This record gives sequence, structure tokens and C-alpha cells, in this order.
Amino acid sequence: MNPVVLKGRGLMKGSAKGEALISQKAFTFAHGVDPSNGNVTDIRSDIRGSNVKGKVLFYPFGKGSTTASAWFLETVRMGNHPSAIVTEGVDLSAVIGSVMAKLIYGKEIPVVSGVERSRYGEIASGEAVLVNADSGEVRALS
Amino acid sequence: MHLDSTEEKLLRGEGGEAKQFAMEIVTNVGDAVGADSLVPIKSAHVLAHYSSLHDAGVDVLERFAESGGKFSVPTSVDPASIDLQNWKSFGIAEEYARQQFRLCDAYAKLGGMRCWTCAQYQVCNFPKEGDTVAWAESSAVVYANSVLGSRSNKITSGMDVACAILGLTPRFGMLNDEKRVASIAFKVTLDRLSDLDYRSIGFFVGRMSGSRVPVLLGLPTGISSDQVKHLGAAAAAAGPVTMIHLPGITPGTRTLSDATRGEEVEQIEVTRSDLAEVESDLNQTSEAPDLVALGVPHLSVNELGELAKVLEGRKLKQGIKMYAYTSSQANDMAERTGISATIEAAGARISHSTDAEISPLKKMGFNVVMTNSAKLAEIVSSEGEIRIRYDSLKRIIEGVTN
Repeated sequence: MNPVVLKGRGLMKGSAKGEALISQKAFTFAHGVDPSNGNVTDIRSDIRGSNVKGKVLFYPFGKGSTTASAWFLETVRMGNHPSAIVTEGVDLSAVIGSVMAKLIYGKEIPVVSGVERSRYGEIASGEAVLVNADSGEVRALS
Repeated sequence: MHLDSTEEKLLRGEGGEAKQFAMEIVTNVGDAVGADSLVPIKSAHVLAHYSSLHDAGVDVLERFAESGGKFSVPTSVDPASIDLQNWKSFGIAEEYARQQFRLCDAYAKLGGMRCWTCAQYQVCNFPKEGDTVAWAESSAVVYANSVLGSRSNKITSGMDVACAILGLTPRFGMLNDEKRVASIAFKVTLDRLSDLDYRSIGFFVGRMSGSRVPVLLGLPTGISSDQVKHLGAAAAAAGPVTMIHLPGITPGTRTLSDATRGEEVEQIEVTRSDLAEVESDLNQTSEAPDLVALGVPHLSVNELGELAKVLEGRKLKQGIKMYAYTSSQANDMAERTGISATIEAAGARISHSTDAEISPLKKMGFNVVMTNSAKLAEIVSSEGEIRIRYDSLKRIIEGVTN
């Protein structure tokens, strides 16, 4: 069987590996992820209780406060950030958080958008994936 | 995104590190959203509160300030996470205050107006119809687009400061005419709307609109700017809405047809049961509150005056605190006109330059917060640390005072 490859558009370049953490619901770091440990705390999230650290984080859309980029950046400062972010719609919080992470902390966190939520099911939660934002490819490694 | 030769130079660093950093942010955003170019702005509104920005935000703002950044357009700022004057008496820890003051200092160094409010359009930031602005603060963006007839996208933290420094923003979304056309209509046929009803209507409209621009019909002709402020804030808390066409109020929109450019659109009637559903969704408890929080977004001096009137002769019950949140400027006026004295005589307090949803309520010892703000209810409840009671000002006052 061919490995699963999902194609999107790289918004923040670079490549990263990690276990997939998949939310099917709109997601926010603002009041939604505890930067001090990376735990998802949003009571409306379907991955509440999971941890984003080192994961390839999938969610369809961003939501809520425009401070989400700052919350995201704080998880970076504390070393609890996802290794890459994959979305369906453009989430500016992810883009801006990633730009600032590079400029302030020298961390590269690829962001890929345009991957349809309906295809998230082709990857299992916890499965290792490789994100190559230069080509826009998200590849399952198993 | 197309950059002109001046912008290219800034991106290469020829205008200094702060502008290069700012250009990195706006060009990545512009490319992500498919903007064609950068356009000039008339004003900016940025975020600099510690509760959301955290230590990383201090790093960002100080980096901008220390690398020679200066705001190139009039820039206001959202409330701080502490009352900048009376923080000690509100039980804020020194360490927490110190980080907030680092943000304040960096913001001042960048040349921002010391106007710490989320209702800047009532205090210090006055764009006119047709002006392009770059504002953070979702409720203010709704007000700018829907009432002032200015044009703003909802600007994300980090990009806000970048736009303010450059005096530029990527052209996309609400800056384009075709994105401002309403594609869903709501009609209110209820009368005698309470303060809570305006907020619940806004929340319902925001929730049902999704990413569509709504038009809202049937509001009373005498609706105040404060009522529109709270309605818009609730809508923006419930969904991604950045504009609501209000026929008779929104510049260029006198009728439903103006809002939709003559297109037929889905029309939803807002009923009592819709509002009751919003109330029951936002209401999490029937416990007695330990804090009543009024003013998310900030109360105007008129609203403080109305609050003083209903509090006159009443006394807050033991064990319950009541904070009315406002700008420093409205607070000054309230002090000079005796409004503050009346509010304090009832045992309540005005807290200025900060606001409830961005202050460390849990650390301040609060567990149950009662409010008529749908925005506060939505934000606080998503964290799950504090329980919310959502009710009208009339019923709040009856419940918590003697």
C-alpha cells in the first residue's frame, strides 16, 4: 500500500517530523493550550487533555481571540510547541506565531494549509508524519 | 504579494531591524491570505496585556522597541491586565505587575497613545468613513466596520504592532468592497429589549453567521452607540464576524438591499427562544457570585452614570465584589462628576485601564463571576476555571445588593 500523502500549501517553510495530533474542530491556543506544559485545556476542544509538544498538530480552522498567536509564541518560548501545524483554512495565528518564533527564538515551525479536514482520517492519531512545507506535503511515515 | 521598491528595501533591512521584522510579519500574512499589495492605514490599535502576551510578548514588544521601532500612525492599545493606577489595591502580585509594566514601557517607547481601552473609538481613536485602519480587538473591528464605516480586518497579535510601525497593512478581506456585502439577514421583531437582549442578539447573530457578513434588521431606531458596542462585541465573541450591516446606522446601508447589493439572502428571525438558548448556553451556574464584572467591552462615562443611578441608595451584599471596567479617561470624568463617589458608596468600584477578561481573575481569588457581558462569559468559560452567571443588569443588581 502506498503511504498516505496529503497535499497542501506551505505558508511557513521548513520541514518537521512528529506524531500526528488531530482535532476535527476549530482550534485556538488562546485560553486553549497551557503554554507551561503544552496541554490542550479548551473545554470545547475534541483533543482536550492531549499535549501538543513535538506533535504535528492538525486542525481545520483557527477560532476565537486574535491573541492566539501570542499564546502560541509562549508555548514556543517554553519549549512546548508543536513541531508543525497543518490546517484546512488559513489560520493567521499560526502564521504569525511561526514568523515570530523564527525571528525571536530561532525556531522553525512549518505551517501548511489547504489540507481538507475530510482527509485527516487517513492518518491515525499518534502516527509519525513528516511535514515538508516547501513542497506542501504531509506524509505518513508508517 | 507585490511590494514596491521602498517596501522591498524595508524587507531587506535597509530601514532598520524593527521595520524588517515588521515586514517579515506582514509579507508572510499577505502571502498566506493572497493579498495583492500593502496599503496605507490611518490608525492602529494593538494589544499589550500580559495575560495573553505572556513573557514571549514582552520579548516581542521589547525587541521592536529596542531595535528602533516607532509607530508611524496614531496608535491606541487594548486594556492592560491590571489597573495601571490602583493595581495593588485590586490584589495583583508585584511580579505580575512588573511584567505588565515592561509591556507598558515598551509600548510607550514605540510612541503609542496611553489610551488603554477596548472601546478606543469612544475615547481616543477616531477614524472616519472610508479610512483604512489596522485594529486588533474584535469588538472594536466590528464597530469600525459597522458603525464608523471605516475598514479593518481583525488584526492578530504581533501583526498589529507590525502594521502600526509600517503604517501599512496587507489588502485583503474587509478592505475589499466585495467582502463587505451581506449574505445572511437577521430580523428582530421583539420589543422592550433589555441590556442582556442586545448582547444575546449579537451573540446569536455571530454564532449563526459563521464567516458570512450579516445584516441585522429591526433594531430600535433609538439604539445607542453603547448598545451597538455591546451587541457587536457579543457577535465577535461568538464567531469570526467583523462587520454587521445595521440599516440606518452603517454608512452606505439604509436598507436590506443596500447591505446585500440587491441579492436575495437567507433571512432568520431572532426569537425569544433563540435568546433564551444563548442565555442558557452562557449561564453555567446558579451559585452566588464572588465578583460582578461589568464592562466588557469598557463602559462609557454615560454607562457609568447609568450604573451610578441604579446603585444609588443600595449596598452591595457581604462577600461580593462589583467592578465596573472603563478607560482612564472615562474614569477621570466619572471622578469629576461625582459618578465614582456614588458607585463607591454602594460598595462597588471602578477599575480603569484594564478589563475583566484579560485580568488574572482566578489569581485574584474569584471562582464565580456574574456579568451581563456575553463576551466575558464566552471567553472565561472556555478556560473552565471560573464559572459564569450571565444575567441582565437589573437582575444582577437585585440579586447582589440590599
